Amino acid sequence: MSQSLRPYLQCVRSSLTAALSLSNFASQASERHNVPEIEAQSCPEVLLNPLTISRNENEKVFIEPSINSVRISIKIKQADEIENILVHKFTRFLNQRAEAFFILRRKAVKGYDISFLITNFHTEEMLKHKLVDFIIQFMEEVDKEISEMKLFLNARARFVAESFLTPFD
Amino acid sequence: MSPPEVHHLFHHPIADHSFSADRQTLAVAKENNIELYQRAGGKFQLKDELTGHDKTVTGVDIAPNTGKIVTCSQDRNAYVWEPSPEGWKPTLVLLRINRAATCVRWAPSETKFAVGSGARLIPVCYFEEEDNWWVSKHLKKPIRSTITTVAWHPNSVLLAAGSTDGHARVFSSFIKGVDARPEPSAWGERLPFNTVCGEFLNNTAGWIHSVAFSPSGNALAFAAHDSSLTVVYPSAPEQPPRAVVSITTQLLPFMSIVWSGEDEIIAAGYNCEAYRLQGSEQGWQLSGSLESKGRPGMQAEREESAFNMFKQMDLKGKVTDDTKLKTVHQNTISTIRSFKEGGGTVSQISSTGVDGRVVIWTL
Amino acid sequence: MANVNWRTINVDALDPDSPANFDLSSLTPAVAPVATADVQALAGQIRQLMRGGDNEGALQGALENPPYGADDRGKEVHLAAVIEILQSIRQSDMSPILQRIYSAPGGSEALDVLMKYIYKGMAQSSTVSATRNITPQATGFSQIHSRGGGEGGGQAMSVLLSWHEKLVEIAGPGSIVRVMTDRRTV
Repeated sequence: MSQSLRPYLQCVRSSLTAALSLSNFASQASERHNVPEIEAQSCPEVLLNPLTISRNENEKVFIEPSINSVRISIKIKQADEIENILVHKFTRFLNQRAEAFFILRRKAVKGYDISFLITNFHTEEMLKHKLVDFIIQFMEEVDKEISEMKLFLNARARFVAESFLTPFD
Repeated sequence: MSPPEVHHLFHHPIADHSFSADRQTLAVAKENNIELYQRAGGKFQLKDELTGHDKTVTGVDIAPNTGKIVTCSQDRNAYVWEPSPEGWKPTLVLLRINRAATCVRWAPSETKFAVGSGARLIPVCYFEEEDNWWVSKHLKKPIRSTITTVAWHPNSVLLAAGSTDGHARVFSSFIKGVDARPEPSAWGERLPFNTVCGEFLNNTAGWIHSVAFSPSGNALAFAAHDSSLTVVYPSAPEQPPRAVVSITTQLLPFMSIVWSGEDEIIAAGYNCEAYRLQGSEQGWQLSGSLESKGRPGMQAEREESAFNMFKQMDLKGKVTDDTKLKTVHQNTISTIRSFKEGGGTVSQISSTGVDGRVVIWTL
Repeated sequence: MANVNWRTINVDALDPDSPANFDLSSLTPAVAPVATADVQALAGQIRQLMRGGDNEGALQGALENPPYGADDRGKEVHLAAVIEILQSIRQSDMSPILQRIYSAPGGSEALDVLMKYIYKGMAQSSTVSATRNITPQATGFSQIHSRGGGEGGGQAMSVLLSWHEKLVEIAGPGSIVRVMTDRRTV
């Protein structure tokens, strides 16, 4: 693990632990509704100040807390165009299967690659520290995944190029 | 200190709980229903279920003397349940609110109760003999957001309420014909309905999770989402308070507080633990957790054979099983209440939380 | 007028009593407005202390007087000053300094302010270029920035991240919660 990754993840972990203090809160704006306030944005007093945690320009986590829901957006490292494409494809793949992931948001917040939406119903039926662990693990894995894919892609490209360019005997 | 008594009722959040006066019956709010448990030996057994609400039940309170149960829910309704030969009989309360009801508490006199609501008002409900139903009068000004919690002063007239607008307020809920004229206190002398006797805001302004009057009623404590606990000592009517002591903790916010004496508060919340705070007008401090760390039973339970350990590592690729928290409650504690008290001090408290456990602690 | 799409009008926004129009200023105690010039003067004093080698005093002074009432520019100036101090303190000195600030009276509040600055510093998308534009006088400290600007502010962020880690050890998650709830922003 590189030197500044550990404090970065540690910072995300403690910020998430603090942000995931959620309670059941019925909507003030519409009768008999109970909606994630961070998405509804209908009552400013139950939204809290958002937090940004960044490792550098290209790696950031944006946490938007509210009384009954937290939106977490992650900007995944993209060093070059290939990684850019890979991240796009990868997050698209996940987003299309968002239901299976419970806390995944179908669309990422603008400026970020992938977003999670955790509501009080999630923290009620799942362990909070495990939810935090999941996000942290996801952040660790996704970098690894992307660089692996990139290596694989490069190897494949090299192989294809070689086959193409080998002179016929 | 004897170990806490733990009852794991089910795997659902308990929004609120209340014990009957003899502590044999326990009412818990589970989803859209209220479940009544009866103590049988060392256990609680499900005895009855009060159904009628069609949204999450948010508050339940058993009146100690009359045994009536009042419940409220996010479906905007409140019911008063009375025992009858055919079981519990509900009476709908005319709350006249158009948003969720969030909490409910009987006044110590048991002639009225207050319901917190998302409609930015507090219906104070009392029984109208002539029409034979519960009617309400609204405390309205100057509430600007959802009421999250209410608490009664021992004189049954003053009502404290905490709101998501960050303010804890003390109101007069004097209703002619129901209440006797209260003794003048530091909070106020003449108290017509909806008099605001105090309005308090923290510097860091989180919404209020819990409010409570001290046993004498001469101090008010409130816990807010900024992880703070504030205690207000009023001086005289219409005067600024004598002292406002605010303590910011290093912990996650407290969800519920109980005064166990004039100089001690028990608070619990998102840390899944109950903490003891002590102090006076001069200042308050956190004096520790109610749980003794590393209780004996806990270690033994966790100890595993080497075979098991390697099996775990092989199957799941992890070294330790960390799905269990070290605390008794495995999730946020949402309500704590006094369980046993005498002579102005509380010796036992009960707590319930999101994990579906009821725990009785000896202080 | 004919082109107004009535269906998309947010009627809640037009109703002064609706929850959507909650007055957030009611959540903050009265904050006295601070002139940008005053903030600049304070930042100057802080830099003076730093030049004298008293980093701890500089940090304490900066945290005790957060310019809540200042406008955006004033806040930027103060943020730049705080970040400068944070970057000039060695990693091994962080914990002892925090511990001393915490045990001083009003220390918990000062650490909450520091937490706000750390998050604000990280939220600053390009701390480097922004601060340089805003502090007009070249104080000789710009080299700290340029060093930090190596790879998209990675160096600057890693300083803030290690401060954050040390701060959480001392002030606990409670101080992060207060950064979120406090409407008095730095």
